[in-house]
Amino acid sequence: MLSDALKETLRGKIAQGEHPREHAVDVMLEIQKRCGYMSDEAMEEAATLLGMSPLELEELATFYDHIYREPVGKYVIRVCDSAVCWMHGHLSVVDHLTSLLGIGMGETTPDGLFTVLPVCCLGYCDRAPAMMINQRIFGQLTPEKIDRVIRRLREEASFDEAE
Amino acid sequence: MPRLIIDEREIEVPPGTKVIDAAERLGILIPRFCYHEGLGAVGACRMCAVQFVEGPVKGLQMSCMVDAQDGMVVSTSHEEAVEFRRFIIECLMLNHPHDCPVCDEGGQCLLQDETVSGGHGLRRYQGKKRTYRDQYLGELIAHEMNRCIHCYRCSRFYQEFSGYRDLGPLQIANRVFYGRFKDGPLESPFSGNLVDICPTGVYTDKPSRYKARRWDLQRTPSVCIHCSLGCNTVANARYREVVRVEARFSGEVNGHFICDRGRFGFPYTNLPGRPRTARTAGGECSQGEAVAAAAEKLREISSTFGPQAVACFGSSRNSLETQCMLKRICRLQGWQVPGFFVDPALERRVRAAVSLLDASAGVSMREVERADCVVAAGVDPVNEAPMLALAMRQAFRRGAEILVADPRPIFLPFPFIHVPVSMERMDSFLEGLARLAGESSDGTGVREADLLSQIVQNGGLASSDLPLPVSFCRALFGSQNPVVLCGTECVRESTLPAAAALARDLRKGRDRAGLLYVLPGANAFGAGLLNSQGHPGFSRLLESVESGSVRALIVTESDPLNDFCHRDRLLGTLGKLDLLVVMDFLDSETARMAHVFLPTTTHFESGSCFVNHEGRLQYAEAVHHGGIPIEQAGGGSHPPRVYRGDIPGEGPKAAWVILAELGRTLGIPDRDLLGLGPWSLIGEEIPSLKRLEGTVFPPEGIRILSDGDPVQWVQGPEARDGEDDRGAVPPGDFFEILLTHWTFGTEELSSRSGPLQKVEKEPYGMMHSDDARVLGFSEGDRIVLSLEGGQIRFRLSVADRMGRGVLVLPRHRKLAWRNIPEMPCFVPRDRIRREDS
Ligand code: SF4
Ligand code: SF4
Ligand code: FES
Repeated sequence: MLSDALKETLRGKIAQGEHPREHAVDVMLEIQKRCGYMSDEAMEEAATLLGMSPLELEELATFYDHIYREPVGKYVIRVCDSAVCWMHGHLSVVDHLTSLLGIGMGETTPDGLFTVLPVCCLGYCDRAPAMMINQRIFGQLTPEKIDRVIRRLREEASFDEAE
Repeated sequence: MPRLIIDEREIEVPPGTKVIDAAERLGILIPRFCYHEGLGAVGACRMCAVQFVEGPVKGLQMSCMVDAQDGMVVSTSHEEAVEFRRFIIECLMLNHPHDCPVCDEGGQCLLQDETVSGGHGLRRYQGKKRTYRDQYLGELIAHEMNRCIHCYRCSRFYQEFSGYRDLGPLQIANRVFYGRFKDGPLESPFSGNLVDICPTGVYTDKPSRYKARRWDLQRTPSVCIHCSLGCNTVANARYREVVRVEARFSGEVNGHFICDRGRFGFPYTNLPGRPRTARTAGGECSQGEAVAAAAEKLREISSTFGPQAVACFGSSRNSLETQCMLKRICRLQGWQVPGFFVDPALERRVRAAVSLLDASAGVSMREVERADCVVAAGVDPVNEAPMLALAMRQAFRRGAEILVADPRPIFLPFPFIHVPVSMERMDSFLEGLARLAGESSDGTGVREADLLSQIVQNGGLASSDLPLPVSFCRALFGSQNPVVLCGTECVRESTLPAAAALARDLRKGRDRAGLLYVLPGANAFGAGLLNSQGHPGFSRLLESVESGSVRALIVTESDPLNDFCHRDRLLGTLGKLDLLVVMDFLDSETARMAHVFLPTTTHFESGSCFVNHEGRLQYAEAVHHGGIPIEQAGGGSHPPRVYRGDIPGEGPKAAWVILAELGRTLGIPDRDLLGLGPWSLIGEEIPSLKRLEGTVFPPEGIRILSDGDPVQWVQGPEARDGEDDRGAVPPGDFFEILLTHWTFGTEELSSRSGPLQKVEKEPYGMMHSDDARVLGFSEGDRIVLSLEGGQIRFRLSVADRMGRGVLVLPRHRKLAWRNIPEMPCFVPRDRIRREDS
């Protein structure tokens, strides 16, 4: 269930466009920011707000990688698998990450902190191999660097939790 | 006209023809998946590659994407093209589950054909196949996504062509999935077309699953008789059972598609309870004995009370042969002129519609698709004549403006202007529209506002009920090819000429302005043709029975007890008859009351003619001989191993043949009956069809409207004699009851279909939310309507976009609408209350 306040914000956003559905993706991103992912209920409510059928919204949601239709971790790690990163050892990055976190590609850690997903090109080829965590990009990855980043995020998360 | 050479043969085609179609005209079927004539080209599958050897386009190209042009030399068998197609089909087959043996598409599968034609006989790919989870799509369509080759035909048909929004492509790249947001029945009443257009076995016809391979089926061209549009179909039968109905292409009528009522409505012909043996008071007997018994009694009644003591009654589901034979016998015997409708007002409306159509005004559905402006008055297309809604949608997709004037809540699968004019004010609304369209012509625009307020007043509307009408009137005026659609089921009689007048006014200064009446029943047009004079009307007929002047009634493929409003009265009246003869293929209530019953064949068993709404005479060929389906005869197992010379249950004959036998037994020479043959019979009874005698029956049927004859060629209903001048709203606070059809659940034949019964909605009544508020009702309330004939209970649904002062009820068998004494029906508000109060 979307909160009334969120619905109000979304209505405002939708009203800005000439056609309500112009803002379909923005609306989903906004909901995702608050709720973490697009649940079935959120899809249906968003579709109503946008004057679309749930199926029409689902067509968009499932087309775009950055719309999540399942719960994801607090940190979504996207490992680049395009040509340049692949040449620079993308597979070992994946190996390292997945064994470090104890999950496979596409899975979420039981503590709900991390999800690992592939992504095709972050535009960071000059600093391959690269990955993106939420909105931040990390390049020239080594096992040590990955360890550091993950450790920091764990600390950050437990700090957030405590406060 | 472009001339080109394909595979060393020259052909000239109309401009805009795609190379794939040009080849087809030469009999060369270029492999294809995504291309479908009804949907157009998208170039999604790459299967139709051919080599352009010379001309304006060179090299390997998709033949569905290239327009034929002068000087092109095309090779479909060029090495490069063949190799390319072999590669494509191999790719498309990578994930295919190879489950053809258990797939209903097998044997009629484009994917099988193209796999063979592409030469892909050896599997090289050894990897894991992609698999999907299938969805539950309702009771009509089965879903098996693993067979999909991603051609997009289904979603293009479902969303673009027909305008429904609950099935489409999801996901991306190799994972693309076609389905719904969640499991659940498809919302479109045209969903069955997915079965026909999917080139593989993703969507299959659920009710007929696992029943037969295509090559095991008896297949013939047939015609749908579940509404007046007469869509063309292919009937499929096996083991004495109609198994499946598919759409058949008709350039003029339905194009490539049909609706689900037409596709899944046929099981009435297979029902276990279908009567197959003749009956008299003494019990079951042979057809001959029953005919003799009926004839004897008829002779007796005729000689005692005169031939006018015998009356006949048919229906709009009769074949034209049956209607003609009925009329002929009545004339030759001096019986009463036969009637076809239980509602005299409806009968008059049908006659009016038939008399108002002529070749210059009447349009086919194909012409509706090409209209650039559509006015629909008193018609609810999705519910009354579903495919008309799709024709209107094609007009909308080409940019037509569409306005529907109707007090009922109307849904159409595209945006349109809905003006909830009451039935009573419909005529003045149409007149106003004609004037406004004319007025906009002088460009002054000054009087528009005036006229508009007049229309609002005359139409009994609130100004808030009129969204965008001025812009619509401009569109109407600016249109080149407008069409007026008009219903007959709920409108007043005077609306029919008003619609014709609007079309006539619009025709001034234009080449064309079409007129289309939706009629009540597959052969209502035929009934209208035959009904031009002399029939007193069903109510008078009942009075004559009640007064004892009519003693015998012959009811032919008709169920007055199903159609007539005042049920108790009719039951009493039928009980008074000395002789009730019923011929039917349905186990109807009327049939159960018969003194003499004669079973008839359905149009699947006897070839029959039907005249559709635009006066198109179409012939439905018999698909099988009939008889008790083997599955029933054998109780699901092997049929009984007993020797017999006949087919079990083959007793029924075509109604017109039985009528002729009855006539012969009564002494009419055979040369005047069966000896005539069907064509002469029709020509004798409908003089305007005499000219058709001996015509070779063309596949698109015969349009029987006279050409531009200014004189009405069929007599319209005679002027009213005042006394039955009904339809005026009584003064005071009344609701008008509108009895309507629903896509599923109200039409006489298809409502007996098991699969459709699972799809139909529970019946409910509808009224305007303002009316509901005044009465203190809300959505979902249980309402009781108390009438003289009894009570009608229903659940209420409220709507904002509908007329005030109307209560809309479906003619659903689960709703006691037959307690309504007669139509039109006005009830005082205090007769409507909530069940608990
Ligand atoms: S389901 Fe059938 S029609 Fe739809 S894309 Fe797949 S193969 Fe084509
Ligand atoms: S629109 Fe009418 S004639 Fe056409 S398929 Fe449907 S019910 Fe049959
Ligand atoms: S048929 Fe031409 S690309 Fe599919």
